[in-house]
Amino acid sequence: MSGGLTKAPATHWVLRAFGERIALRLPVRALAVIALLLAGLVVLFLISIVTGSYGVAWGDVLQTLTGATVSTAIDNVVWEFRLPRMLVAAMVGAMMALSGAALQNVTRNGLADPSLVGVSQGAALAVVTLIIAFPEVTPGLRPPAAFVGALLTATLVQVLSSGGRRHGSSISFILLGIGVAAFMSALTTALLTYGDINRASAALAWLAGSINAASWSDVWLLAGALGVLAPALIALSRPVAALQLGEDTAIGLGAAVRLSRYALITLSVALAAMATAVVGPLGFVGLIAPHAARRLARAGVGLTLVMTGLTGAFLVAGADLAGRALFAPIQIPAGIVTAIIGVPVFVYLLWSTAARQNA
Amino acid sequence: MADVEEVARPTNLRRIAPAGAALIMCVVIVLTMAVHIAVGAKQLPLSTVFEALLHKNDKVFDHIIIWDLRLPRAILAVVVGAAISVAGALMQGVTRNPLADPGILGLMAGASFAVVTALNLFGISSPVWLPVIAAAGALVAAVVVYGIAVWAPGGATPATLTLSGAAVTAFLGAFISLMHIMNEDGFDQLRVWLTGSLAGRDLGLLIYAGPPLFVALIAGLLLGRQVTVLSMGDEVAAGLGVKTGHLKLMLLAVVVVLTASAVTLAGPLGFIGLVIPHAVRLFAGSDYRLIVPFSALAGAAYLTAVDTVARMALQPQEISTGLVTAMIGAPLFVFLVWKKTR
Amino acid sequence: MAKDSPNLIGISGDAPAVGTPTASRLQAKTLCAGYDNAPVLDGIDLTIPDGCITALVGPNGCGKSTLLKTLARILKPSGGTALLDGKDVFSSNTREVAAKLGLLPQGPVTPEGLTVRELVAQGRFPHQSLIRQWTRADEDAVNRAMQTADITDFADRPVDSLSGGQRQRCWIAMVLAQETDLILLDEPTTFLDLKVQVDLMNLLTQLAHAERRTLVIVLHELNLAAAYADYLVMMKNGKIVSRGAVADIFNAETLKTVFDLDATVIVDNASGRPVCVPLPKRHVQPPRVVYG
Repeated sequence: MSGGLTKAPATHWVLRAFGERIALRLPVRALAVIALLLAGLVVLFLISIVTGSYGVAWGDVLQTLTGATVSTAIDNVVWEFRLPRMLVAAMVGAMMALSGAALQNVTRNGLADPSLVGVSQGAALAVVTLIIAFPEVTPGLRPPAAFVGALLTATLVQVLSSGGRRHGSSISFILLGIGVAAFMSALTTALLTYGDINRASAALAWLAGSINAASWSDVWLLAGALGVLAPALIALSRPVAALQLGEDTAIGLGAAVRLSRYALITLSVALAAMATAVVGPLGFVGLIAPHAARRLARAGVGLTLVMTGLTGAFLVAGADLAGRALFAPIQIPAGIVTAIIGVPVFVYLLWSTAARQNA
Repeated sequence: MADVEEVARPTNLRRIAPAGAALIMCVVIVLTMAVHIAVGAKQLPLSTVFEALLHKNDKVFDHIIIWDLRLPRAILAVVVGAAISVAGALMQGVTRNPLADPGILGLMAGASFAVVTALNLFGISSPVWLPVIAAAGALVAAVVVYGIAVWAPGGATPATLTLSGAAVTAFLGAFISLMHIMNEDGFDQLRVWLTGSLAGRDLGLLIYAGPPLFVALIAGLLLGRQVTVLSMGDEVAAGLGVKTGHLKLMLLAVVVVLTASAVTLAGPLGFIGLVIPHAVRLFAGSDYRLIVPFSALAGAAYLTAVDTVARMALQPQEISTGLVTAMIGAPLFVFLVWKKTR
Repeated sequence: MAKDSPNLIGISGDAPAVGTPTASRLQAKTLCAGYDNAPVLDGIDLTIPDGCITALVGPNGCGKSTLLKTLARILKPSGGTALLDGKDVFSSNTREVAAKLGLLPQGPVTPEGLTVRELVAQGRFPHQSLIRQWTRADEDAVNRAMQTADITDFADRPVDSLSGGQRQRCWIAMVLAQETDLILLDEPTTFLDLKVQVDLMNLLTQLAHAERRTLVIVLHELNLAAAYADYLVMMKNGKIVSRGAVADIFNAETLKTVFDLDATVIVDNASGRPVCVPLPKRHVQPPRVVYG
C-alpha cells in the first residue's frame, strides 16, 4: 500500500437509541470542537461584559447576571448595553457564517460569500433606499426590505451565471457577483449623497457594519430568525451531502435536488438579509467561518454546519469586542475587523481553490 | 520585425481614416468641454463660453467663473480621463486580460491607501510628494495583486487577477475606513475624494502631477505598437524580436505613473479604464497603435461627459463622478464576464 | 434460454445467455430526450434484461449516455416514458426509485478529504433520515459493499489520495451500498489503464452473474463491450441500430453500419468472445518524385 496512512483514522462515537430510531455516527473530535467553541463563547461573553469604559467588577457581573441588582448603573450597563450587544454580535456572526456555508454548498464554490457576490450589497441598497426615500417607515420594515433586495440580487447573479457552459462550480459566479456588488454599492453611495444629511448619516452608521446600537428588540428578532432558519438549514444537510458528490449522483441517490437548491438559496439569502438588516453588511464572515470549521474537525454536513455557526458567532463576537476594546474610546466596527482577517483567508483560499480546479 | 511592419503597415486609405476619426474626436472633446463649462448652478450660453475662452475679460463675472472654476475642472476631466483610459488599454494589452483596469486590479486602491496614509499618519500634504507616494502605492499594489494571481496555481488568468485585485482593494479599503474612524475630522475632504470626484480640486496639483502624467501618456502612445505584438503572446513577441521583459517593465512604469497621477488629481475613478478601451476596440480593431491614442481621446471626452452628468443629474447636489463611472462600468464588467461563460 | 444462443460459449457457466429478454424491470417506451431544443434520443424502445450486463455502445454523440441519463431520471424525457417495474421513473417518488435503481455518473467529483467509508456511506441515502443515519443495517451494507469492491484496506483514507482505479472502485462500492437490484453506469472505465479496466469489468460481471443484479453500462471501448456484455445495444443518431447477444450482432457489417468502421471480427479462442480488429486503410502509393 502506498504511503499516507500515517494519520490514525478519526474515532467515532456511534449513537443508537430508541430502537435505532436515532442512529448516528459522530466524530468525537467534532463534538469536542463544538463543546470548546461553546465554552469559548461563554468566556468571550464574560470578558465582553466586564470590558468597557464603565468598569464593572467580575463579582458584580455574575451577581447581576443571576438577576440580583448590585446598582442601577451596573444593571443598566450589563442588561441594556453589553449583553444585547454581545448576543447580537454572536447571532449575526452565526447567521452570516451559515449563509456563507449554504451559498458555498449550493454553488459548490469555496469562494462564495454573501458580501462578495452582492447579496449583502443588495440588502444594503434596499435598506438605504428605505431610509432615504421613506424616512417615516419604522426600522421594523428593514428586514423584509433587506430580504427582497438580497433575494433579487442573488437571483440576478444566479440567472446570469446559469445557462453558461460551466455554471455552478465556475469562478465566473464570483466575478459576476463582484460586478453586481460594485454596481449596487455605487448606487447606494449615490443615494447617500442625494439624501437628506440626517437620514444619510443614520444610513451611514448602519452601513458601517457596527453593532453598537444593539437593543433587545434586535436580539429577539435575530433569535427568532436564527431559531427558524438554522434548523431548516441543518435539516437540509443530507441532500447537501449528496449534492457534494455532484448533481447526477445526488439524483441517483434519490435526493430532491431542485427543491434542495431553491431551499438552500432562499435560506442563505434570508440569513444574510436578516443579519444585514440589523447591523449592516458584515464582510467575509461567510467566507472564513465555513472553512475554519472544516479545518477544526472533519464531520458530516450537519455537524459542520453547527461548528460553522459557532465559529461565526465566536468570530464576530470577538471582532466586536476587539473593535471596541483595542483603540478605546474609538469604536471600530466589527465589519472592518472581519475584512482585515478575511482578505488573507480569501487569498489563501484562492490559491487552494485554483489548485483544486487545476487538478 | 521587418515582417511585422510589412504585414501590419496600413494602406493609405487606412491611414487617412484614423486621422479623420481623431480629428472628429478632438472636436467632440472640445464640444463636451464647452457643454461641461456651460452647465452648472448658473447656466451659461455656449457663445459666452467660447467668447470667454477666446477673449478673456476680467471684468465680466461669467468669464471669471469660467476661468477660475469651470475650465480647471474641465481640463482635469480631460487629462484624468485620458490617463486612466490609456492605463486600462495598456493593461489589457499586456496582460491579455479583457477585464484589466487600474481600479479592478487594485492599483487605484494602492494609490488611494498610500495617499490617505501619508496625509493621515504622517501629515504629508505637499503636492510635490503626493503623486510620488501615490505611485509607490500603486506599484506595490500592482506587484502584490500580480503576485497573488501568479501564485494561484491556475496562474495569472483574468479570473484570478480580478479576484486578487478585489481582495487587495477590500483589504486596503478596510484600512482606509480604519483611518477614517480614527480621525473623523481630518477625513471630511478625503471622503469625497475617495469616491472619485473632480469637485473642488485645485489646479495646483496639476503642476506636479501633470508633467509625469504627460510623459507617461506620450510613452504609452509610443509603446502602442509593441503592445500589439505583446498582445499576441509572449512567445510570438519574443520571436519577433521584442524584448518582452524590458518592455513589460516600461509599460508597468507607464501604467503606474498614469494611475497614480490620476488618483492624486481626482481620486479612484473606477471602471473608466475598462469601459473606454472596449468601446474603442469596437471601432479600431485590435491594433494597439490605434487603441491607445483613441482610448486617450475617447477617455477624455467620456470623463468630461460623465462629470457633466454627475454635476447636473441631481442638482443642486452633485454625485461623485466615480459613482457614475461605476454605475456605467460595472454592468459592462458583468456583461464581459457573462459573455465569456457562454 | 441458453440453447437459444449457442454462440455464448466460453463465458462463465452461470451466465444467463440472452437472446430476446423475457423478464425485465427497466424499459424504455418510444423515449425521446435531448438538451435545449437539440433532440438526441429519437423514439427509443428498449427492454433491459434482468440479472445480466447490458452494454450500450455507439459513436460519440449517438445518445448512449443520454439514454442512460433518461433511464436514471436525470434527464426529463421530451416524449415517451422510462418504466421501472411498470411505473414511470420520472413521475415516481425519487427516493423510492433510488431504493431500486443505482447510478454511477460519468466522471464523478469527489469532495476534498472525504474518506472512502464516508463516500460509501452516502450510498445509504435512500434508506436514511436526518437522525437515522447509521443503523446496524447501514453499517453492514457499507462493510459488505467495501468488501465486494475490495477497498476495505483503505476505508479510512481520503478518496482523493487514491489512484484512478481505486477511486472508481470506491464509487462502485457507494452504488453497491445503495443495495439496488439495478445499477446504471456511465463509462466507468474511461481514462483507466487496460489492466484496471479489466479488473473493474470482472467486478461488475461478478455483480451481475453471482449476485443477479441488472447492470446497464455505457462503454466507450468496443472490445471491452464485446468481452463482457451479455446483451449488447448499438446506437447511432439517437436510434438503436442493433441489439442482441454479443455473438449474434457483433460482426463486421454492424460495425460498418454503426461506427462506419472497417474492421474484421475474429473470435478469440481463449475467451470465445469476438474481437474487432480495425483494418488499416490501404494508402494510394505516393507518386515517385524524381529529383534533379
